[in-house]
Amino acid sequence: MKKFLAVLLSAIMVLSMAVTANASSLAGTYDITVWVAAEIVDLTKQQIDNYNKTNEHGIVFNATVEAVSEADAGTNMVTDVEAGGDLYCFAQDQFARLVQAGALAKLGVNAGKTVAEANAAGVVAAATSGDTLYAYPMTADNGYFMYYDKSVVAEDHIDSMEAIIADCEAAQKYFAFEMNTSAWYNASFFFATGCTSNWTTDDEGKFVSVRDTFNSPEGLIAVKGMKKLVDSPFHLSSSAADSFASNAAVLVTGMWAYSDIEKILGDNMGVTDLPSFEVDGTSYHLGSFNGCKLMGVKPQVDPVRAAALHQLAQYLTGEQCQMERFAERAWGPSNLNAQASDAVQANPGLVALNTQSPYSVPQGQIHGSWWDIAKVISDDVKAATDEAGLQAALDNYYNKIDALFALDTSALLFVGAWNGWNNADAEPTYYFQGASLTLDVPESDYMGGRIVNPGDWGTDKGFAQVVVGKELVKDLGADNPDNNIVFVEPGNYTITLTGSDITIVKN
Amino acid sequence: MTQNEMNQKTSGPVKQHMGLRASRMLSNSAIYVLLIAISIIWLIPFVCIVLQSFRVESTWQVGYVIPQQWGLDNYRNLFNTDFPRWYVNTFISALATAVLQTIIVLCMSYTLSRFRFKMRKPLMRFMLILGMFPGMLTMIILYRVLKDLGLTQQNSVPGLILVYVASSGMGYYVSKGFFDTIPKSLDEAARVDGATRFQVLKKIILPLSKPIVIYTILTAFMAPWGDFVFARYIAFGSSAGSNVAVGLYNWLNKDQIAKYYTTFCAGGVMVAIPVTVLFMCLQKYYVEGVTGGAVKG
Repeated sequence: MKKFLAVLLSAIMVLSMAVTANASSLAGTYDITVWVAAEIVDLTKQQIDNYNKTNEHGIVFNATVEAVSEADAGTNMVTDVEAGGDLYCFAQDQFARLVQAGALAKLGVNAGKTVAEANAAGVVAAATSGDTLYAYPMTADNGYFMYYDKSVVAEDHIDSMEAIIADCEAAQKYFAFEMNTSAWYNASFFFATGCTSNWTTDDEGKFVSVRDTFNSPEGLIAVKGMKKLVDSPFHLSSSAADSFASNAAVLVTGMWAYSDIEKILGDNMGVTDLPSFEVDGTSYHLGSFNGCKLMGVKPQVDPVRAAALHQLAQYLTGEQCQMERFAERAWGPSNLNAQASDAVQANPGLVALNTQSPYSVPQGQIHGSWWDIAKVISDDVKAATDEAGLQAALDNYYNKIDALFALDTSALLFVGAWNGWNNADAEPTYYFQGASLTLDVPESDYMGGRIVNPGDWGTDKGFAQVVVGKELVKDLGADNPDNNIVFVEPGNYTITLTGSDITIVKN
Repeated sequence: MTQNEMNQKTSGPVKQHMGLRASRMLSNSAIYVLLIAISIIWLIPFVCIVLQSFRVESTWQVGYVIPQQWGLDNYRNLFNTDFPRWYVNTFISALATAVLQTIIVLCMSYTLSRFRFKMRKPLMRFMLILGMFPGMLTMIILYRVLKDLGLTQQNSVPGLILVYVASSGMGYYVSKGFFDTIPKSLDEAARVDGATRFQVLKKIILPLSKPIVIYTILTAFMAPWGDFVFARYIAFGSSAGSNVAVGLYNWLNKDQIAKYYTTFCAGGVMVAIPVTVLFMCLQKYYVEGVTGGAVKG
């Protein structure tokens, strides 16, 4: 029902965007509720006032601005979409859930284009599900880097995790880095060695596939590095600014803690990118997640109101408002022009974040359960006594992901030109048996087919990549919405599915 | 055996006398040590909160308890936030609940204690069973109903009062038990003299059951004062409709706590003050009230 409502509302909205292209028809007064973080409530009120005074459409917003933490907004919205804020800010990890709950109105085509061009690519990807943009990027600073106490950690040690741990142990002070309490932080070690965990969602925010390489030789190197940290008696799993007030000398956290830490440490505060760790003589620079905050528009019943709200959202996330938030609260902008400005370039925290950014991974859509599964890795790592134990930690992780997201490949079909796309019920029908099948591709004009789910015959987009046997199929480029696989020549082929990878062998 | 012990052994009766006193003193001091230890453990969080609320040198959590600089900044700071609004919300809902619930409970208890009507027993049994379902079960449907009535978010105070008061009739057990201990002949005498039922309740029963009335008021006041779960649901993202528990909780967010920790403590102390004062004034009656209904079933 919710989904239906969401589809209906967004359909009305999209239509209305087309109809109400004439801006003057938006004129009017609207009572709205806006949810933003507590620290920008006053600023947002001011910005909405400015909008009321300056906009060309004759729109006046009578706004109630409520302080709702970006971490909670998602949960609140999902609880009762109707009662939620008309505009609301949220951290990107809640994005997929909000799309699924029908709590986000799609951006119109033009608005989408403007937003996508004005903002950093990673941030735009975070607001996109399938091919659709669902939210307006506000910041691009939701990543982490290292704060340290200059009086404890020597300047020339800050690039080496081992040296930092030694300094901390010598001074009897803590190295605070969240491990068993947050996968957002402990994934840092895996990104360092090049592991990835990529999840794909469809247009409705549903997860369709995962490619995860944490359980690999690189993953093993990562956990060896992690073990060095968690085994130290002076490791503390925390990301709170006040760790510095309770005997920490190093803290890995983000921009939001900047002003608090500055107050605690004063001149002793140092900020820099994350250090490197060394395993078997090779050094690996710690990676990080690189996330953002987004602003969403709640689907509306009245199309005119919806269009007006989209105008406001675009204004509030535009260059000017982002710069104002930067000036007042040091929120790192996602707008490309704002990012390039001198003021932003001169902020030490954002500089550290920028130095870290080549090693960071844009936080795309991630399945909600992943966070809980991945955070316990570090407990297993700490408990492990040898390499087999470390491998067991990774196996444990892999099995949980697999159990969560086991694709029942045996039920999938392969349909194509050779069996009339199964429409004519022509024999043979090819079912995957134990994730693989062998078929005869006869000579024809279009020797192609695709992997589908039985019943609805929709393409299973989980299987996107032909990894082995690329030379046997035609390269259809990006313009291949159904993931068709077109063979170069007729023959007898065996197709095997591993995870989301497709392997094709000619027999 | 030392000389000393020998001496003790020979002086039989004295030794026994001393031993009794000594053992009593020993057990007493053991009990006192235990009690003191327990009260210290119990009091530590309160003392910490009070001390932290006067700490002005920093606003985040620190590793020590005694402030380095004392001051009232945190209390002043409360007035720059929505705290007064939350406080008023909580106070209004607690006060209204205390009044309404007390009236309902007393009427209910009086009715069930003094009247004899056909459905009395089945009704009591029904309420007993109904009371066994956790109130939380009704949360979703209550939210829906209140929302349709327009009593959520910024209008949550009347909505909350409605929720708190609605089920209060079922809390009649203790006061009915107490009313049962008052001889029925008093009622009958008054009735013979021409008093109405209401006059009997007002002029005879209530003056005799002061402790139970006060107990009812206190418990009715306490529940909304500390409520979080219902209040959070019904306020739903609206600061103007939050009570103190919900409002203060928002300061514990990761991005807020470093700025609001000491203010949070000050808020906590402010919340504790009226309840403490109320308890201190009414303590005498409270104990009587809790145990009063238990004398006769």
